[in-house]
Amino acid sequence: MADCQETLNELESYLDSELSEGRANEIITHLKGCTDCQGAYEFHADLRTAIKTKAKNEELPDGFLDRLRDCLGDDVLGAE
Amino acid sequence: MGAREDFTNDAMQYAPQLFATALRMTRNRSDAEDLVQETFLKGWRAFDSYQQGTNLRAWLFRIMTNTFINKYNSQQRRPQETELDEVEELFLFRRMGAFDQSKMSQSAEDQMLELFTDEEVKNAIESLPETFRIPVLLSDVEGFSYKEIAEMLEVPIGTVMSRLHRGRKAMQKMLYEYAKERGLVDESLLDPQD
Repeated sequence: MADCQETLNELESYLDSELSEGRANEIITHLKGCTDCQGAYEFHADLRTAIKTKAKNEELPDGFLDRLRDCLGDDVLGAE
Repeated sequence: MGAREDFTNDAMQYAPQLFATALRMTRNRSDAEDLVQETFLKGWRAFDSYQQGTNLRAWLFRIMTNTFINKYNSQQRRPQETELDEVEELFLFRRMGAFDQSKMSQSAEDQMLELFTDEEVKNAIESLPETFRIPVLLSDVEGFSYKEIAEMLEVPIGTVMSRLHRGRKAMQKMLYEYAKERGLVDESLLDPQD
């Protein structure tokens, strides 16, 4: 069973899905019984989602994919 | 040729995400496009060494990360760990009480999306020193595992974990500063005991 300090220390690895199954279950058990740690967990999970969503929004330059295909095509011709 | 045509078709689906990461790495749209093109050319030429059935996406990101580090004379392999100030644990979480609730939505999840703009999140990532920026990008944005990132950067897993930890905290501090500049924070609301 993990206590609050251990849970907060390992929250990052837990959110990264990098804990062993056994350890992850101990963290889950603690989170279910502790509203403070549950709040910290939810906060960081939401923050992760927000960062991922916002950092991924990127418009490609006009013609980007065409130029990419072209540069591979040129390489084929150059090799032959 | 068949396998290489497959490469072009399979790899093309990852071009947009490679570009987004390249942009955060180089901080310049034209350099980012060059970096993705170079990654594809290297991948295309080395496709014989790629093992079918393994993770093409991770393979491409690995090529791109290495190309970036080599081309831009990166400090990844000679990291200056002191180039980032220490930030206290749970920095942002401990300051949530200072956010002016009247300016935000009801749901916690929506609140988080409103607290920071796309530009602020991108700026926060880009302002991290490269040593920290690359692991944060590969993990938080692209979702690679510690092991995959360790292989891409050719550093031990423990190093990946500590750079992620410090990089994320520094990013939280920057996001907080941006929110403060936008007038979302009232620090008098913070409990001085905290």
